Amino acid sequence: MRVAAAGVLTGWGRDVQALPHDARVAANGRAVIPLRRPAIEGDRFRRATRECLLGVAAVEALLADGDLSREAIRGSGTALVYVTATAYTAANRAFIEQAGGSGTLHFPYTAPSAVPAEVAIEFGLTGPYVILIGATDAGQDALWQGAELLARRACERVLVLAVETVEECADLFARGRWLTRRPLVEAAVAVLLTPDGEETDPGRAAGSFLHMASRRAGETFACAPLIALALARAGAPRAGSFAGR
Amino acid sequence: MLPLAREPIAILSAGVITPVGADLDAFWAGLVTGVDGISAIERFPVHDLRVGRGGEIKKFAFARRRPLRGGRAAELLLAAADDLRGRITLDVAPERLGIVVGTALGGVEEGEHALGDRRPGRAAGALYHAPGRALAQYLGARGPVVTVSTACASGATALGFGADLLRAGRADVVVAGGYDILCRFVMRGFDALRSLTRERVRPFDRRRSGLLLGEGAALVAMAREGNPRLGRLLGHASASDGSHIAAPDPEGRGLEFAARAAMTEAGVGADDVDFVSTHGTGTPLNDPIETAVLQRVLGGRALAVPVNSVKGALGHTMGAAATLEAIMCLLAGRHGVVPPTVGLEDVDPACRLAHVQGAALACQPRVSLSTSLGFGGCNAALVLESAP
Repeated sequence: MRVAAAGVLTGWGRDVQALPHDARVAANGRAVIPLRRPAIEGDRFRRATRECLLGVAAVEALLADGDLSREAIRGSGTALVYVTATAYTAANRAFIEQAGGSGTLHFPYTAPSAVPAEVAIEFGLTGPYVILIGATDAGQDALWQGAELLARRACERVLVLAVETVEECADLFARGRWLTRRPLVEAAVAVLLTPDGEETDPGRAAGSFLHMASRRAGETFACAPLIALALARAGAPRAGSFAGR
Repeated sequence: MLPLAREPIAILSAGVITPVGADLDAFWAGLVTGVDGISAIERFPVHDLRVGRGGEIKKFAFARRRPLRGGRAAELLLAAADDLRGRITLDVAPERLGIVVGTALGGVEEGEHALGDRRPGRAAGALYHAPGRALAQYLGARGPVVTVSTACASGATALGFGADLLRAGRADVVVAGGYDILCRFVMRGFDALRSLTRERVRPFDRRRSGLLLGEGAALVAMAREGNPRLGRLLGHASASDGSHIAAPDPEGRGLEFAARAAMTEAGVGADDVDFVSTHGTGTPLNDPIETAVLQRVLGGRALAVPVNSVKGALGHTMGAAATLEAIMCLLAGRHGVVPPTVGLEDVDPACRLAHVQGAALACQPRVSLSTSLGFGGCNAALVLESAP
């Protein structure tokens, strides 16, 4: 199995090279390091939420990284495994607080499945489809599931996508800050797994670099294992050890 | 590339809480006798909504000294777990016990409360994986704890993911299933979408005019080995439509992909399928699309294989639906009877299948196909085999 391409967008910038050496120091007291809404044009996206556009942008970054065309991932040969801990909270809050309005057009975007749906529509992905909810462990489970789909030949390649957005609900997340001492860093990360190459468990491989990913990126929840995998792929020297789950 | 056929997974037992019965026996009795679980919603205000009815579980008070993180959603899950544990001992080391639950809404009702209640637990309980964590804590599980959210197909995806964990040796027993509750959030949403009917739910009927929501929780205990007292999961698959944010693909291509892949994984063909539990929401859009898919998948047997939908009885229980339907498939084979589709009286010509209507059908389905769809183009299919 091989990581054929990776697209990494974080509040620090594009790609793992943009990550600081130490997120806590770089944050300089800021609680949230946000990602801006991507400037993706098209009438189809007029109602799409920021998290949906970040998912699309992460896949665009992945295609650019791997020098791949959209055709390379289109169709039922590509499985989509999506994972998030937070990228529905903003849409849910907006719907709850819009108490007087109908919310007809917004309600479908409150579902966590909205982000992978927009990605699947945009890139024509019609293969196996799994959506997980949770933080770092769920990110590792997503990578494991991707490897498992390849191993049982359910698809030809797997796009594992994670998106995390916290800015709109920063006050709510602040109540649970005992969860983390790092800054909360918004991120959208995609990795493309293909069956060629030596047999590896990407979840375990990501685990080896998880400590470094957390130190450099900050708290990125489910994105952390994918960032770790991107760091490993970029040849970052391993700092410390992490045995994985 | 053809998927590999895979070893079946034993389904040891089940536990549920539903609008037609508060445990597995009552649920089954309610389905077979055609009980209508739809009623006026009493737990929260609905006066400003077009539709104020649904499959609400009445008089439910989970005995717990402290409020649960995840609120009512967690309480329903734990009630289903109590029913499950009343039927089977989960004799497994905590670190080898996995949890996989599916949900469309998670603890979203806690999110409604958290905006006006600054206690930290309220906001944390609003996260969609909070109820699954509460279940793991309740059962003392220290193996993998996974929440899936493929919208209204979640209950099927959860069973499939649980099977994957077992086959990979990441757990010896997995408690898997789905849940969701009726709350203002989801009622407002579906009401705004005009998806809810003011009449009764009539899956596949000429007069069908929409769905009604329901609530519930359903869990099964699964293992690679052990006595498959309920039956076996032979195959599962999922697929994305990639066509619309909320509506199903007009051709049902994702559902067909999932159904065929699940059957391939199960090693069964159309001739082997004895019964189909449909998604069957009763919306004008879903039912003919699903019918066309089943006509293609079952081929010449499309008018011979009994099919039903339980959503006329329960309402659409969202994350719980597919697990409840899987359990119904297994019980149908065990008891030799297929429950009827409540609300179906006059079959729409565009929905011609071998519907079980009016009364339960005496037959002995061994292999069942269960289909599910959800927001975001989620499709999932399960192939199940009932225990003799």
